[in-house]
Amino acid sequence: MSSAVQTRRAPDWLLRGEAGLGPCGCGGTRRKGSFLEKTLSGGAGLLRQVMFSEDVAGRPGLLQRLDPRLKAVSLVVLLVAVGLVHHVSVLVGAYACTLVLAAASKLSIGFFVKRVWLFVPVFTGIVVLPATLSIVTPGEVVLPLWHWHGAPQGFTAQGLTTAALVVSRVATSVSLVVLLTLTTPWTRLLAALRALGVPRIFILIIGMAYRYVFLLLGTVTEMYEARKARTVSGGRHDRAARRFVTASAGALFGRAGHLSEEVHMAMVARGYRGNARTLHTFRLAPADALAAAVVLAAAVAIYGGDLLLGR
Amino acid sequence: MTAGEVVFACRDLRYSYLGRFPALDGVSLDIRRGEKVALLGPNGCGKSTLLKLLDGLIFPDSGTFTAFGQEVTEDNLEDEQFSAGFRSRVGFVFQNSDTQVFSPTVREEVAFGCLQLGMSVMETAARVDDVLAMLDISDLADRAPFQLSGGQKKRVAIASVLVMNPQVLLFDEPTAALDPRTQAWLIELIGQLGAAGKTIVLATHDLDALDAIADRCLVFAENHTIAHAGAPGEILADRDLLLRANLIHERSRVTF
Repeated sequence: MSSAVQTRRAPDWLLRGEAGLGPCGCGGTRRKGSFLEKTLSGGAGLLRQVMFSEDVAGRPGLLQRLDPRLKAVSLVVLLVAVGLVHHVSVLVGAYACTLVLAAASKLSIGFFVKRVWLFVPVFTGIVVLPATLSIVTPGEVVLPLWHWHGAPQGFTAQGLTTAALVVSRVATSVSLVVLLTLTTPWTRLLAALRALGVPRIFILIIGMAYRYVFLLLGTVTEMYEARKARTVSGGRHDRAARRFVTASAGALFGRAGHLSEEVHMAMVARGYRGNARTLHTFRLAPADALAAAVVLAAAVAIYGGDLLLGR
Repeated sequence: MTAGEVVFACRDLRYSYLGRFPALDGVSLDIRRGEKVALLGPNGCGKSTLLKLLDGLIFPDSGTFTAFGQEVTEDNLEDEQFSAGFRSRVGFVFQNSDTQVFSPTVREEVAFGCLQLGMSVMETAARVDDVLAMLDISDLADRAPFQLSGGQKKRVAIASVLVMNPQVLLFDEPTAALDPRTQAWLIELIGQLGAAGKTIVLATHDLDALDAIADRCLVFAENHTIAHAGAPGEILADRDLLLRANLIHERSRVTF
């Protein structure tokens, strides 16, 4: 046996004091972070948001008390009902109900509204925008934008009504989904899906993917911070950032491979042979039966109300 | 040292990664029932590889490994009865708790092993509650692993193995990267498990706790062989051996 780590004399330059690259004071030139920094800080923000969501889902609110299986089935029923509605007023009424439910479930209304309306304009508004114009949806022009052979062209009443219908339908549907995800801890939701017949291996895989994406996100953040701590020079860093992304993607791929091997070993060590068994502890309470009746009544009211208003 | 029956017998084990990087180069040892054996040695000498081999997770390039009187091979572990018998008798606490704590919640994690081995849901749930209470982590039962600290994850990893009540416990660097209080708790727990008759094999660099966690030590050399075997007192008193095995430095003050 021999000592593996031999102590060698440190080079002279390391033992000499060295002046820094400039005075430790502000010079007045500011530089924004690269796209990479923004992406990673977004990822870290997502992690914080998920942790916050898990806390909210554990609060003693109205929807938190209900069986997650019932909530998952109710979501599907209500989504179908909302999808069949053709009147904006009915959808606005349904949306108002989701706000009441959010308040009764001790969710912050501001956070709930923001979470829904941050996505709706981006994903739906852009899609329906052309449908509001007279060239796509002919009709009564309420806001002329240009003229074509003497006829005014622009936003039509019919087009705006269609757009309002689509946007309100999407907003109400997204609100229902957000209500479910914010009032049900992720693990209970997975267990509920399993109880509703989603294959066990599928649940196991998405459960583990969700578990390890945070670990890998933490690894990427640490790699980036280690790079940032040693970044001195000025100028834009986008090109270097792209190089970092490719290099760290390779490193991360290797780490993920090693991690998956170790996780598999940990599973095998405890008897896993390809057919995972999991715990389920769901019991329907009287409150769940009442909630099921309320959901059915609401679905009938939404669809019936729409029929009453006529087509 | 307890002179119980031999539970693990290794003969001339050789193992290399990718066929090029040797990790074990002719290792022979016997582990007897009720023994607490510490594997000592520098980084990269093959301790973790040996533990994985003793848990039937990897298999030697040459040599034989026998557990409970039956040779452990990849082929034998495909036999359902042998696999269930072996896995229920041997538990492994990995060094990196993140690899071991893979389930969505602590409760699911701790229940995993019992459920895989065919225990009923009711019995599993009762055992999980007992183990969580014993390790003082009942309040973490419904938490997700990413919400846990390093020490908490280590407790969960240990709970997930203890719940199966294995006869043999393998620990890979159990006290590494833990705060002093958690280290002391874990050393005490290993002592209790040893006193209860469990066979314990652990890889460690923690010489301070050696007396409490082992009654026999195997010292690995950097050439991936076992250089010395002896009682903790004997090993700790041999400063030359500790230096040669890279367990202490020339300037280390040894006050065991």
